[in-house]
This record gives sequence, structure tokens and C-alpha cells, in this order.
Amino acid sequence: MSNKRSYKCEKVIERLHKKVSRQILGSLEACVHCGMCTDQCHYVLANPGDVSYMPSYKADKLRKLFKAHIDWTGKKFPWWVSARSLYTDDELEELKDTVFGKCTNCRRCSINCPMGVDMATFNRMARGLLVSVGVMPQGVAVVAKDQWEIGNQMGVLKEDFLDTLQWMQEELQSEYDDPSIKIPIDKMDCDVVYSINPREAKYDPRTIADAAKIFHFAGENWTMASEGWDMTNFGLFNGDDELGGAVARRCYEATENLRGKKLVISECGHGYRSTRCEGQNWGQKDVNFKMESSVISMLRYIKEGKIKVDKTKNPEPVTFHDSCNNARSCGLTEEPRELLNMVCMDFREMYPNRAENFCCTGGGGAMSMSEYTPRRLKSAIIKANQLKETGAKTVVTSCHNCVDGLSDLIRHYKLDMKVTQLVNLVANALVVPEKRKAAAEVATLVGYKILLADDEADTLAFFSTVLEDNGATVILARDGDEALALARKEKPNLITLDLSMPGKDGGEVFEILRKDPELSAIKVCIITGKPELRRLIYDRPVTPPEGYLNKPVANEELILNMHKILGVAHDGKKK
Amino acid sequence: METIHAISTNVETTSALLSFAEDKLQLIALSFMALVYFFKVRWILSFKAGKERQAPTGNRDTNAKRGAVYSLFNIFMPWSMPSTRQHPFFYLQFGIFHVAVATSITMSIVLPYLPQLISSPLIIMALQTLFALGFLVGVGRLIRRIVSPYIRAISTPDDYFSLALLVVWLAFAFKAAPNNSDITEFWLLGYFFLTAFFLFYVPFSKISHYIFYPFTRWYLGKTLGHRGVYPLPFNPGNEPLGRMFTRIKSVEGK
Repeated sequence: MSNKRSYKCEKVIERLHKKVSRQILGSLEACVHCGMCTDQCHYVLANPGDVSYMPSYKADKLRKLFKAHIDWTGKKFPWWVSARSLYTDDELEELKDTVFGKCTNCRRCSINCPMGVDMATFNRMARGLLVSVGVMPQGVAVVAKDQWEIGNQMGVLKEDFLDTLQWMQEELQSEYDDPSIKIPIDKMDCDVVYSINPREAKYDPRTIADAAKIFHFAGENWTMASEGWDMTNFGLFNGDDELGGAVARRCYEATENLRGKKLVISECGHGYRSTRCEGQNWGQKDVNFKMESSVISMLRYIKEGKIKVDKTKNPEPVTFHDSCNNARSCGLTEEPRELLNMVCMDFREMYPNRAENFCCTGGGGAMSMSEYTPRRLKSAIIKANQLKETGAKTVVTSCHNCVDGLSDLIRHYKLDMKVTQLVNLVANALVVPEKRKAAAEVATLVGYKILLADDEADTLAFFSTVLEDNGATVILARDGDEALALARKEKPNLITLDLSMPGKDGGEVFEILRKDPELSAIKVCIITGKPELRRLIYDRPVTPPEGYLNKPVANEELILNMHKILGVAHDGKKK
Repeated sequence: METIHAISTNVETTSALLSFAEDKLQLIALSFMALVYFFKVRWILSFKAGKERQAPTGNRDTNAKRGAVYSLFNIFMPWSMPSTRQHPFFYLQFGIFHVAVATSITMSIVLPYLPQLISSPLIIMALQTLFALGFLVGVGRLIRRIVSPYIRAISTPDDYFSLALLVVWLAFAFKAAPNNSDITEFWLLGYFFLTAFFLFYVPFSKISHYIFYPFTRWYLGKTLGHRGVYPLPFNPGNEPLGRMFTRIKSVEGK
């Protein structure tokens, strides 16, 4: 082997010296290769016999480099401690495969190490070293770029964000026939500035509406910021402290500019950890306001009698999945349980739980790394078995990554369960004083023609029933080619596209639609059971789709999104 | 007469060697180890420790200090981690081996300077039992390191050598424990020379993990205490006794 080192490897080694703190040094030196961490990792348990998933084996990939360049013995007698430097870009790719593709930084091995070796922390450091020379999964690069450039990790534009808030406000006002319900934006001197995960604005606006409902009925003096509203932070996942600091500062400064007294962070494990804990360290910034999880806020509202809840409204058996970041890095384990017991009839623990819980497998940015999806889903068998054992019909979690990770594994392992968040359950259990009669249900989609393209007969049957019940004219296509032919013939107002279909897939159909001058005005909503294929749509050089939904889709969610895309108000009037 | 004289000279020479091995050699080795450790700790401290700026989170009954103290001592609480809780026999082996090693180190100081402390046959028998058990555990660990594909994959020459060194050293400790130079001089000499070698070698090998232990555990505990994670609450539901030994199939033959 030649000892000539690539430029990227040179840079990685140069930065390694700067990145090693005393804590990391201890963790890199202290491992005695006892193997106690081995069967504490979900990847190992799901892949018996494959040593490459073993936490200490993965950690050794960086440890060898550290030994070769920093450790005393390793520098003089490398072979004796298996020290090994990096020389080629292929070796960097191998390291990438390990630190991004075989570890979710869940920290379960760290709390199981008798020596206190914090493998998750230096795995993050290894990611950062690779990112600094441009070696990372493509999805990670895309998301990090969006967070640097647009200010949120899903590239939600300001006008779209504000439009979504407006839409949710109108929905709430219409639902309660109460124009005083507001989603305040950039209101100064509020007690609470509410920050969210951009996934809520893009794919799950119902959670924003639910939170707004709770704030409203609790009489909270609150607002959202039009800038710096994203509390998620891809710096945690890609190991880039600069990005981490910049994103966190943006969020803190938004609260400071509005002179908010408290920053409330919606349910998101990594967002809570990044904003509440790590962000101040990365951004080297002290703040003069308090920060808390929305879980704690909701619990306090109930305890203080600001809102009343009726747990009989949530009668189904539910279980709770602890997000790794909340449980193992922020100690947020008891409040969600207390809240669940207040708003649900039948809460069942999942074992093991709290800090010993297993990862949902969607953590550490795994949901954005589609190249590792098969191994992620394979390792999810551990979580799937945990879920199944509870017998619950709903799994509740306080993390958006976990929502996606759990939804994915539930679909993959065909579990009869759904995923929800505490905010949805609290909103559902809310006892609204003198609730005004909601607007009568009307057929809101009369006069709209909707083409449904999906190769699953059950899905087509369900969607068409829901949409026809709401007055829409529905046309069905079972593959991509048929969808295109029908689109040309029928000129629908909206097309829903499954991504994985026979013939032309959803991505190809979408691009053709957008590039065809006769069809480009048709609104498109992607409805897929494979969220990892999301980038096949958003990476295309055409205008993004007007909507995006993950299967399974509830009828209410489907109608809400059709309304939004078509610009129809809750009462069926054109907005 | 010539034969008797030769034996006598040999005994005197051997005794002088033993005397050197158990006294001066140990002092030299210990001084060397202390010096290297001094530089090693200085080296560790030359790396900057990260600072936590955020307000505490999680359980309000804990803090950074409580977390750090809990972390430092949680190795003595096998119920506190699934990794030790699920493998009690493995944990017991760990305990025996480390106690045997620590006792052997202590014996290397007691034998030359306070031999009367271990003159009772009962104490000698207790020591020998401990060293024998430590030896057996060490051999078991060595076999595991060679046989288990998981442990083999992470093992370095230093891992094998350090373990083998301790195993041989414990065997010598077993034989040296009676401290009868007329009968066990060879074993005493071997024991003290191995102890000296051990002291010279330790700072450069994985055996020096105990120097890093306080650092890693302190910092991890401090962080997790500040964030309300440590001390971990005792959560018996996670490991009901009934399934403690059967629930998770061992993947690497613990």
C-alpha cells in the first residue's frame, strides 16, 4: 500500500487534531474492547453474525485514525494497537458508510459502556470530519444546504410557511366559528414564542393547528416567528458545529428580536436537544430567555387548570416511544408519561423504555439517507417487536423523526398501528368551553376533477370514496402511462401520484407533467408509502409539487390537503 | 564439600536477585510508571474540556455533580446498565478478575515490606483461591477473545498480550502467595519480575484504562447529570427477573 495520502485525507487528519476535546480523547483512549456494548445496539441484534455493526468495531474505525496520529503508543508502534491512518478517498467512503449508514447516534451503547465511552459523540465528530471534506450521503448534503441557504431543513419558503399558518388559522376559525382564534406571527413581547419542525409546515400542518388550538384555549400570549422558526438542526446529524451554531443562533435571535420570554419547542427529539442543549455550545451564545418542550407546556396548562381534557376522547390503547435525543440526552422521560395518563384511557408501557429504549431507526438523520433504507428497515425489527408486544393500536412519540421512522417500520412490518404525537392527543381530548357549533359539513369539492394514480387497488378505492363523498369527480389510473394519458384527455384540476408504479414511476410522470405546457398548470400531490424516495421528486429541475403526503393517509388529512392545494376553504368556498 | 559450597553460593546469589526484584526493581518500575502517568495526565489535561452553556434539563432532583458521582460508581451497580444486568455471570467474572489483579498488585507491596500480614495459612489460601479464579477468568476471556468473531474483530495485539500477561502474572501470584523463598523462589522471582515488567508496560498499553476511566466517566456523568438523565432511575419493568437470563439471546457468547 502506498503511503501517499489524498488531499481529503490530509484535511481530515488536520481537522482531527483540532476536534479532539478532553471528553472525546477519554472516549477514544478508554475502550478496552470488552464487547459489553455489542448486544445493546439494534443494528447488531437485527444482524447477528455481522461484526461490522458492533458499536466498538464502528468506533474503532475512528479510533484507529486517532491512535495513528495522536495516541502515544499508536504513533510509535501502530501495529501493536492496530492504529491505521487514512490514505485514500475510498477509505473515506468506507468510513462514511459506517458512521452515517450503520449508526443512528442513538447513544444506547454509550449508556451501556462500563468505561463511559460516549461513542455517539465521537461518531458525530467523525461525521463532521467527513462533511468538512464533502464526503456524506447525498440527502445529508441537500438538507444541510437547505438549512444554510433557506433557513430551514426542508426548504420551506417564507411565503409558503406564512400561507400554511394562514390556512391553519382559517381552518380553526371555521371549525369553531370563532374569528378570535389566531396564529399570531411576529407579535412582540409575548410570553411564548413557538418554534416548530418544518415537517409540520410541509407535511403535517395539523400539528400546528392542534398546538394553536391548545395555546388559544389556554389563553396563552404567544406568537410564531416569520424567520428563525425552525428549531431542528441538521448540525446535530452531520457533525458540523458551524451549521449547528448558525441554525441555533437564528432560532435564538428570532426570540430575542421579538422580546419573547420563553421559547417553546414543539415535539421533536433532535430539535429539542439541538435548541435546548447543544445549540448554545455550538453557537457560543448565552440566552436571556427560557426554553422548554411543548410537552412540558401542555402538562403545565392542564395542571394549572388553563385547559381541561377529557381522556375518554382517546379510548384506544396507546404506547409511548421515547425519542433517543429526548430520553438519553435531555432527560425528558416522565413528563410525556404524566401527560399521556391525563389524556388517554389506556396507556401501556413499551419495554425497555425511557433511557434504555431502542431507537426507532429513523434517528441521526437516517430518514434523509435513502441509500441506507434497506439496512435501516432490517434493523427496525427490534423496534417492531417492541411495538407488537404492547398490543397498542397507537404509538405516541414526541419526535418528528420518530414519527417518520415508526411509520415506515409499521408499514414495512405490517403492524396494525398508527403513529401520533402528544399534541394531537391533547388537542383531541381538549374540552372546549362553550364550543361553538362547527360549520355544517358540506360537499366541499363539487366541481373539481381529481385524477388518482396508484397501483394499489385498496388505496384507489379508499381515496375515491372519500373524495367522491366530498363531491369531487374522480378518475382512476393504475400506472404511470395510464395517468399521463388520462391527464391529457381529462385535464383534471389535481393529480395525486404514487411514486412507485408500474410503467413510468411517479417521478417520471411528475416531470413530464411539469414540462408539458398543456399540463403544467395541473396541481400535483405526491402520496407515497416510500418517503425515502422523496428526493426523486424534489431533486428534479422543475417546480416542486403543490402537496406531499405519506401513506397511510387518514380521510380528514386527505381532504384538508386537497382543500389547501385547490385553494378551497373549510366551508367549500374558494379562498 | 565442593558440591555443598556450590549450592550455598547459588542460594545466596538467588536471594540477592530476589531481594533486588522485590525491592529496588519495584521502586524503579513504580517510579517510571508514576513519571509516565504524570506526563500522561498532563497530556490529557492539555486537551480542552468542552463547556456546557445551557440551563439544566430533565429531572430536577439531579445535577452535574450528582450525575458525575453516579457515573463514577455505576460500575459497582450492575443493575444500572442493561449490559451488566443482562449478563450477571459475565459481570461476576469482571469483578473477580479485577479484584484479583488489584489484590496481586497490593501483594507485590505487602510481600517485601509487611510479610507478616499474609503469613496466616487461611489468608494465603484465600489469596490463592482469588488468584486461581482470576486466572481462570483470564483464560476464559482469552479464549473468548480468540473464539468469538465479535471480540476477535476488535482485538489488537496489545489486547491479547495484555490479557495473556495478566493471566501468567496471576499464575505466578498464586504460586508466590505462600512467600516461602526456599520452596517458591522461582515463582517469587517470576512474580516480581513480571510485576516490574507490568509496571513498565502498563502506561503504554490498554491496561492503563483505569487512568482514563475517571475522565470518561466524570465527563459523561457531568453532562448527563446536568441534563437530568443520570442517575438513571431504577426501572425494574425493563428487566423482569423472569426473563433476565433468557430474553435477549447472547450474540457473542457471553
